[in-house]
This record gives sequence, C-alpha cells and structure tokens, in this order.
Amino acid sequence: MTEHLPDNNYLAPELLQKLGDLELIAREVVEGLRVGTHRSPLRGCSTEFAHHRQYAPGDPIRSIDWRVYGRSDRYYTKLYEAETNFDCYLLVDASSSMNYASGKVSKLEYAKFLAASLAHIVLKQRDSVGLSIFDSEVRAHLPPRSTMSIILQIDQLLRGIKPVPRTSIAKQLHDIAIMIKRRSVVVVISDLLSDVDDILAGLDHLRFDGHSVAVLHTLDPYELEFPFQGAWCFEGLELEAPITTQADRIREEYLANFNQYIATLRDGCAGSQVDYMTVNTSLPPNEVLSEFFFKCQAMINGASSGARP
Amino acid sequence: MTFLHPLILLAGLGISLPILAHLLNRHQVKHTPWAAMQFLNRNVRVRSRQIRLRDLLLLLLRCLALLLLVLALARPAWQGGMANWFPGESRSGVVIGLDASFSMAHGDKDQTRFRRALNQVEVIAENIQQGDPVSLVLLGGENKILTRNMAFDPDRFRELLETAKIVPAGLDLDRVPSQLKELAEDMEASNKEVYFITDIQARDWDQSSTKFQSALTNLRQSAQVFLVPVPGVEANLAITQLDLVSGVLRKGAVGRYQATVRNCGVDPVTNVEVQCRVEGVQIDTKTIPLIAAGASETVSLFVPFHNSGPTRITAEITGDLLPTDNVRRVVAVVRDRVSVLCVDGTDGIAGRLVMAALLARSGGSMDENFQVKSIPWLSLPSEPLDEIDVVILADVPEITEEQAKQLSQYVRQGNGLVWFAGKNIKANVWNERSASGVSPLLPAKLGLPVDASTGNGAGRPLDPVMPDHPVCLPLRSLPEDLFSETRFLTRLDTETPSSSFPILKLAGSGDPILLEHTLGRGHVFMFTTSAGTTWNNMALTPVFPMLMQQIVTYLAGREFEQSQTVGDSLSLAYVEQPDASDAVFDSPSDETITVPVREHRKQFVALLENAREAGFYEARVSVQAPGMPIAVNVDPRESNVASLTTPQLNKNLNSTNIIVAGSEIELASAIEANRTRKSSWRQFMFIGLMLLIAESLFADRLRKQKQTRSQVPVPSDDSDSGGRDD
Repeated sequence: MTEHLPDNNYLAPELLQKLGDLELIAREVVEGLRVGTHRSPLRGCSTEFAHHRQYAPGDPIRSIDWRVYGRSDRYYTKLYEAETNFDCYLLVDASSSMNYASGKVSKLEYAKFLAASLAHIVLKQRDSVGLSIFDSEVRAHLPPRSTMSIILQIDQLLRGIKPVPRTSIAKQLHDIAIMIKRRSVVVVISDLLSDVDDILAGLDHLRFDGHSVAVLHTLDPYELEFPFQGAWCFEGLELEAPITTQADRIREEYLANFNQYIATLRDGCAGSQVDYMTVNTSLPPNEVLSEFFFKCQAMINGASSGARP
Repeated sequence: MTFLHPLILLAGLGISLPILAHLLNRHQVKHTPWAAMQFLNRNVRVRSRQIRLRDLLLLLLRCLALLLLVLALARPAWQGGMANWFPGESRSGVVIGLDASFSMAHGDKDQTRFRRALNQVEVIAENIQQGDPVSLVLLGGENKILTRNMAFDPDRFRELLETAKIVPAGLDLDRVPSQLKELAEDMEASNKEVYFITDIQARDWDQSSTKFQSALTNLRQSAQVFLVPVPGVEANLAITQLDLVSGVLRKGAVGRYQATVRNCGVDPVTNVEVQCRVEGVQIDTKTIPLIAAGASETVSLFVPFHNSGPTRITAEITGDLLPTDNVRRVVAVVRDRVSVLCVDGTDGIAGRLVMAALLARSGGSMDENFQVKSIPWLSLPSEPLDEIDVVILADVPEITEEQAKQLSQYVRQGNGLVWFAGKNIKANVWNERSASGVSPLLPAKLGLPVDASTGNGAGRPLDPVMPDHPVCLPLRSLPEDLFSETRFLTRLDTETPSSSFPILKLAGSGDPILLEHTLGRGHVFMFTTSAGTTWNNMALTPVFPMLMQQIVTYLAGREFEQSQTVGDSLSLAYVEQPDASDAVFDSPSDETITVPVREHRKQFVALLENAREAGFYEARVSVQAPGMPIAVNVDPRESNVASLTTPQLNKNLNSTNIIVAGSEIELASAIEANRTRKSSWRQFMFIGLMLLIAESLFADRLRKQKQTRSQVPVPSDDSDSGGRDD
C-alpha cells in the first residue's frame, strides 16, 4: 500500500502526543509531508482560472504560465477560482467511542492531529478552515477562517468537550450541512461506529448540498485486527451492555462483521462520490495524510471527480 | 461395587484440576473499554454462548474421561444383581493347586487320580477368559509353581499341563493354604478363585490341625475357594522298610535283609510276591501268603555278597495300583573283610569279652566275619590303623594328644570308634584331649562314676523304648526277659552336647548308656559303662554280642548305606579339604547336579539340598571320580491312599465356607454359579479412552479453527486504505 511512498521518517502518533502543542504538531506533520513527493491535492481540486500571481519560491513549476513568461519574460503562476475561495470544513467526531485507545493515543487525539494538520495545510495555502465538533449533537461550530488560531481553538474545543455517547451521526451531519453556507470541502474525521445507512444518509446530505466530502475513517489497530487472546470483557463506550467472551474464538465473527461493515461503508461512499479512507491510528499522521492526498490526486487524475466545485 | 486398587480412586480428585483450570480461566477475565461493540452484537453474543457451551462440553469430556480412566485403573468389579445392566465380563484370577503327591498316581493306568485331576483342571480352564491371570502350582514335596500370574492362553496352558508330573513325595497339607494364599494375593484381579484339586487322603485330612482349618478360612477371605476332590479306592500295598538285620557286609558273606510290606487297603491281600534284586539282578523271591487289611508283614531276603564295593539292593512288589511305593532301595558297601582292633585298658578281661562278643555265632560256631585283634592300651601308639575298620577302646585310662588327633583323623576318614568307660578312665585327661573343641572325638564330656543302681541295690535295666536306629534293631527281637537281664550298677556321668544323641538309656532314670555322634564320614559310639563286668553284667547277656556285632557292622558301613527319603538332603563328607570345589550328584534320571563343597565346623561337606527323585543317586567328589550310590526312597506314610468320605470331608470343612465340587459337571456349575462378579475395567478404560480421543479431536478442531481465525486478514480497503502495509 505504501510502496509509492518515500522512505521518510514519519512522526509516530505517540511522539506527536508528547509534543503537546497542537500547532507545533500540525507544523511538524505538514513539514514531514512537504518533504514527501506528493503535492497538495487541494491545489488540484481547483476548477476555474481567476488570475495570475507572481511566482513565489515554493510554487510548483508546473503552475507557471509559460505563455505569460514568453510575453513578459516574468514568471507568473495561474490562480484558480477555487483556490481563492477554498473553504475546508473539518468535522471531528468527539463521541465516547473516539476515546478508545489500545495504545497511548486515542482515536480522538489522533483525529485532533489530523484536523490540526489538515487545517495547517489549508491555512498555509491561504485558504479557510472551518471546524465542527460533534458527538450526540453539534458541540461546536467555527465558521471558516484563515488564521492559524483555529488550530488552537481545535485543541481548546476538544479539551472542553465531555464526550457523550452518540446515537446517530446523520442528524449531526444534517445539522452541520445546514450550517455550511458555501460549497466546501468537508472532511469527516470519525470512527463512524454507527449504523451504515445512517452515516451514508448524513454524507449524502453533505453531497447533496454540493460539498466535496472526504471521510477519514479513524480506527484503532485493535478494532482493525481484534488481536485479543483469552477471556475478555468488552465494556461498551457507548453504553452498550458488556460482553464477556473468549476473544480469540470470536475473532472470526468479529472480523467478518467488521469487514462487512467496512465494505458496505466503502461501497456507500463510492456510490455517493465520497472520498473514503480507513485510518489506522497506529500509523504516523503524516503518512496517513500523504496517502490521503495521493488518493485524492489519483482521483483527480482519474476519470471522475464530478463532485468538485 | 468393589475395587481392586481402591487407593487409585484418590487420583479421581484429579478431575478437580480441569475444573479448577476452568474456573480460574473464568475468573481471569480481562476488562477493556470497547468502542466497536456493534460488531460484538448479535452473532458474536450467540457465538460466545456457544463457546461457553463448548468449553463446558470439553470440560465435561475431560472430567468424564479422567474419571473413567481412574475407575478403570482402580479395577472395579460389580457384584451380580447390583448392576446387571452395566456391561462387564465375568473375569477372574485363578489359582490352581494340583495335588501332585505320589498318592495321586494311584489307580488304573488311564484313570489315575492325577489324570482325573488334570481333567478337572481342563474344566476349570474352559471357564477362564483369555488373558485372565492364572497360577498353577504342583503341591507335593517342595511344591512346584508351574506358572505364576500367566495371562491365560489355552494352548500355552495346555502345554504347561503336559509338563505337570507327579513328584515322589508326600503332600504337606498344612502348607497348602498358605501357598495358595500367597499365589492368590500375588495376583491382580478383582475376583479371585482358588482351586485345590486333591485326593483328600484321609491320613492328611484326619490329622489336619486347627491351624490348617484357620488357614483355610483365612484363604477364603482372599479368594473364592473350590475344593475339587478326586478320591479313589484305598487298596494299596507298599514296601515300607528294607533293612539289614543280620550278617556282615563282607565279600563272601550273606546279608539278611528284612522287607516290610504293608497292606493299606481294607481287604486282606494274599500271595504277595516280594522280589529282591542286587544290581538289577533278581536273586531272591519270597511270597507272603496273607497280609491282613491295614497290617504289615515282613519277609527276609538273603543277599549274598560276591563282590566288594557298593551294591544296590532293591525289594519290589508288583501288580499294585500305586507303583511308586512298590520299590524299596538300599545300598550295601561290601568290604573284603572287617577288621576290629580292641585296645584293652584293663588287665585283658575287657578285651577278651569284646572279642568273644564279636566272634560269637549262633550255635557256638566261630566265623570269620570279623578279624578281631586285642592289644593292651600301651601298645596303641605303635599299632597301624590303616587296615582297621573299627577301633574299640575299652577302659583305656588316657591317650596322648597325638593319639587323639590320630583317632580323630581315623574316624573322619569313615571308620568307626567304640569307647567304653571303666574304673581306669582319667576323665580330665580325656576331656582335655578328646572331648573339647569345636568337633571333639568323643560324643560327651566325661564326669565322675555314679551309682546307677536302683534303691534296693539291684542294677538298672535298659529302657525298652529305643530310637529307630539300626543298632537297636536286633535288640527289639530279644525276648523281654532276656532283654531285662542286662543290669547296670555304675555309669560315668556325662555332659552331652546337642550334636550327640543317646541310643540306649537306663530304664527309669533315662541316663544315657550309649551315645553316638558323627565325625567327618565316620561315627563314634560311647558307652558310659564298662565293657567288663565290674559296672554291669552286659557282657554276660545276649545283649552284648548282638549289640557289638550290630555296632561294628554299622560302623564298618559307610554313610551311603543310609537310605534317604525323597526331599531329604544328600551329603558327601570329605576327610580333608578337597582339590575340586564342587561335588557331583547324578540323579536317577541321569541329571547331573553340581554342588559346591562348603566348610562346616571344620568339616568339608557337599550338600544336595533336596533329593527330588526316588531311586539311586550317585555322589562323586568330582566329575571324573567313581560314584557312590545313595538309595532314596519315597515316604511310606504317603502310601496310605485312603480318601475321606463325603461326610468326613464335610465335617472337616465345616465353617470354612469352601465349595466342594466333586464331578466335572458339579465343578462347571459351581464356577458358573459363583462367578457373579463382573469386571468392568476394560469397559471403563475403553469408554474413557474414547472420550479422551473425542475430547482431543474436539479440542484439536477448536484449536485449528482458532488458528484459522487468527489468520483472517486485517480489513483493508485496498488502495484507499491507510492501514499498515506489512
């Protein structure tokens, strides 16, 4: 899966957790990303030409308008409409289930890293980032802005929220969809541990409103592999009744259920033209984001990305 | 239900281990918060219940298998009627004690008691399951165990039975219960049966002790005991004795042997022909016209000795139902001549009396049976003893130490010494030089002369009760008035060690007059009275010549002339330490038995512990040396073959709770009726093993399923997954 990735030293989630400062974390993640071979997918998501801008170091060579260069002997880069009006909404799930951590980093913390990193990337491109945090309801909603302070706000908001069990995800997505005024890129960071139809209904609503939706399905490695041995009592974080069982013996059934769920979700997302990616919280965030951007690029290069504005 | 090894049941506590492991496993549940509960719902909850059920089933299988294996190892047995529905086999450990004493040979050729006993054994064998433990012992003599705890195999058992032979010995009934009990207790079986097949000889069972009865009762506690009688008619003739009663074992002389034939039956028997054979050649035949029921008759057999050396003599009767006791054997060592040296310590009177006694013949004639020479005691040192067979010391005052050693060596070589007391004896000198030490020359230490007379001053007569010794044989035929004429006034007090034994005693006081002990291959006779007439009138009565001649004949013989009984030890004594470390005994069946020579009380002896056959053994000091025959006869007591009647037997077995099965049909039905216990250990073992295998297969299947599940790939969304790639 990662054969296309360079052999970079990604920052492990545990190490990022030690950094504490989310802005620093975001910078570190993004810096790590920059040294990679992948370019920002958001640039490629633009649609209409707006105007030229003088070339600045760091701008990609391919965006230089060689015709203008031929006429004026100066380097100008093309700027597109989308880039100038790019709003990115980060929807972070802060429900109880996101607090699960088989290691030191919970899914929620990992989601925080991802959100901050994405915000940092977007803001670095001088675009706007909005944030919504939800669990059983929408706990916080920040309209898009172009300042780095939003990264701090992400941290503060997530710290301030006491997770409560989530009953439905569609309702929150519906609510958020109403709150988003412009067509935006919406990135949902959640474990999506809910009814698949409910999730897809929420995503469909976002798509219906013309948003470009990407799902970072954040899951703990234990949820992916279910490596438990012996007798375990599983106590639900969403107020489910506990189950005591021989974990190694039910692994088959669990994984079958889980794979079924993932497949349904993935197929549903594909059907709704929602970018979907499973995120393993044991992997470095920059690696995940790199993979995410690579996938977006691949989609752009591919046949369809009709949902793009 | 009973168990052969009840202590093994303690191992049943082992089932607590899997239960404990199960409970511990249950209590070692780890808790974890879990977000993805939706995937543990529905089927997984059902699956968890199934797993719990499966675990319980596994636990149940393990416990049950363990319990059954423990039960199987404890070897359970069910009493009939308790659980007839439960599968089991009527198996039993069987001990068969087969009377093989020679009385079992009684009967017609194909219908001897032993043959009928073997038929009964075959009936028992038909009721033994293959693989059941079986012990078979031949009872008689030393009791021979043919097999111990053999896993029953009909062919092998049949072969074993073919090797069963009657032994020429009697049955020691008192030993039988303990022997059978030992075999039964040595057997590992939940149900044990002991069969004692015997001809229930009245002579054994009538005299059976309370100890025997209690031993039988004790045996009954160890096993079910079946007595299988194979009685027969009591008619039997046996030669019970063959002894030399007169004559000298000298070349050219004639010995008179007396054969005693007993009619053990209840009917008189007429015209019993007794044949006498010397070295296998018939030389004399006598017929006893009538032997009353239960009576014994004697017949004289005259044996001429034409050659010197050991001679095998047999007396035999024929036409009898029990051939084993129809032959009696004896060995005579014939000499060219018998030389006697009389050393006289008196003024010549004792010597003359001794010579007169030895040379006296019936009718006043003198014979040359003995060459007797009398010398004064002072001439003893110069007298060569090489050619002398018997030395008689009559009232010799003293001897030197050298003479004591010389005489001791002389006796050890197989010669004889007769010692007479008298007024000249210096007791302290004799005691010091020849009556002390480990193996002294004289049979007793000497004391002072004591008055042996009765209160009124008359001499005391000999006690008519005499031991069964060859020396006493002629005295028994003396009329009582002649016998009681011999009177003793004085005797020498003696201190008799345990190695010596008295032959003649005084009536009333029991004081010994004649003592004997063995020294090497020879014997020493010691009179505590004088050869002359100062202390007694023995020399003036017929007792003296008869006694002296018999003593000299006895002493001139060799130890090999003493016939032995089957079961006795056969000994070969050496004069000095032999070159060869082993002696050789050839049995009548030509089996060569090598016996080591051992030193015992400064004497070298080769001892064959147990003569198992009747006939002539040959003892040799080495393999190349010439053999010396030893006659071994059967015990005549076993010849009384009368069996107990049924009422007598029932009375005898009263309160012992022993099953008596006479006929083959009775025996078969008795076995069937009493074998009510079922042995179920094989069933338990089989079921336990099956459960164990089922449990193993089940557990293995679960393990494989688990392994398969552990290899289920981690969910990935192919190209669009952010999951780990490795």
